[in-house]
Amino acid sequence: MKPEEEAPDARAVRHLGSLLEVSKALAVQVELDPLLTVILNKATEVMEAERSTIFMHDDKLRVLRSHLSGQIKRDAMHLHLGVGIAGHVAQTLALLNVSDAYADPRFNPRFDKETGFRTRNILCAPLLSQDGRLLGVIQLLNKRGSAAFSTDDETLLLAFASIAGVAVDRARLVAAVVESKRIEESLRLAHDIQMGMLTRRFPTGGVRMHAVLEPARGVGGDFYDLLEQDGRVWFAVGDVSGKGMGAALFMAITLTLFRASTESAEGPAEVLGRMNRALSRDNERAMFVTAFVALLDLATGKVSYANGGHNPPYVLRATGGLELLANADCPALGVLEEARYANSELTLEPGDGMLLYTDGVTEAQAPDESFYGIERLEALLRTLALKTPAECVESVVGAVSSFAAGAPPADDLTVLALRRPEA
Amino acid sequence: MEIREERRDAIFIVAPVGRVDSNTSSALEAVVLAHAREARLLVDLSGIEYISSAGLRVFLMLARRVKEAGGRLVLCGMGASVRQVFDLAGFTALFAVETSVEQSLLRLSP
Repeated sequence: MKPEEEAPDARAVRHLGSLLEVSKALAVQVELDPLLTVILNKATEVMEAERSTIFMHDDKLRVLRSHLSGQIKRDAMHLHLGVGIAGHVAQTLALLNVSDAYADPRFNPRFDKETGFRTRNILCAPLLSQDGRLLGVIQLLNKRGSAAFSTDDETLLLAFASIAGVAVDRARLVAAVVESKRIEESLRLAHDIQMGMLTRRFPTGGVRMHAVLEPARGVGGDFYDLLEQDGRVWFAVGDVSGKGMGAALFMAITLTLFRASTESAEGPAEVLGRMNRALSRDNERAMFVTAFVALLDLATGKVSYANGGHNPPYVLRATGGLELLANADCPALGVLEEARYANSELTLEPGDGMLLYTDGVTEAQAPDESFYGIERLEALLRTLALKTPAECVESVVGAVSSFAAGAPPADDLTVLALRRPEA
Repeated sequence: MEIREERRDAIFIVAPVGRVDSNTSSALEAVVLAHAREARLLVDLSGIEYISSAGLRVFLMLARRVKEAGGRLVLCGMGASVRQVFDLAGFTALFAVETSVEQSLLRLSP
């Protein structure tokens, strides 16, 4: 018995059965590509068409892209919204039944010419998400054994398209979750690599040191370092402009440059000069690094230091005095290849300490958007005169954290403290 | 952040208003770099209440692009806190800085 001769009730039952089958087939497939293949095969079968095509809607480019299309190669067709039968359906979001393709001015016979296929009639419907967004268009060509698609076919395709739309929507959501998990995973890996670059071995003899670095978003652009070298200790704190992955890559370069530059360097100014020249070359994105570099002589307590645009550190005297190491107006690194850096000197007496930090401390914000600021930091530092470096770092980090009161940090935060042993 | 744009005679004026931090700097970057080929460009900073290092980078890039294109760039209206950030990074000397829009227009006039 041919479908046209079937009783309406029997036809409805048969359609319902097909739809249930489609629904089951689509339910088990959560990956988009194989899902679209299942939808195509089921559509051709259930709708009794000779050929079918799914066009997926590209939200960004506002075009339709053919997914799979019989003998035509995958992704061979790009259609603009409003162009052709499928483009028209994508624009109006309404089903279109064309009984004579060649009589319809919207029909583009180019694909027939290229493939040798002869399109007689077309039934085309939008694939919509549950909230009504356009996901794509499904197009069926040539009703088997009949001159055109019937109104029953229209109803059946609308039901089919609604089941398929839900499945495609779900597959996209699953893909988005998988992608965000993947990004999260690589960010965690980058975090581990970056944290692994930072030294955790702090000197204890001659001088005690401690440092903490807390990136604002997984990875960041802050760094600190310290290197012991023949009775002397190099130490540095720096901050790459911006944050996130770009800053983290620049931070890794900067840290490597610092370590290489301290070898055979006379003093901190020479280290900054070498780092600056290397960072200034081919710096298209105008990334820059502020850095404070110092060299402490363990026997004498003499500190030679140079500052490339970084927040000036503090000296915490054993007597309770607090001194700010004012800037010598040397620019941050990476901007001016010919920039010059100058050394300054100071002496740490037994029991004297220093505290270096990045602007994640002073620019930490409370929920009312006020900044932690220099004044609060200095008031706190005045109370830390004889504390150990670990206690100093802990106090500053703790004070900033309670000031922020749970507000997410806007910037990476680094604190490095040191103290010469008391005589 | 809001960015005002205005042309006065042959001088193009960009005036960002609000905070320039890592969340807003890319928007500012897109706007100011689009005008990097102006022969005479003035950035009025008087509406900026806060600028972070990500914001400083935008002005470094702008200065570089303007120089490459053979144009002239003046910054004006720096408040105390903005000036402090430029000074601290050692960048103030890299820019032509004026106090007011009027002063800048005089400086940029042919």
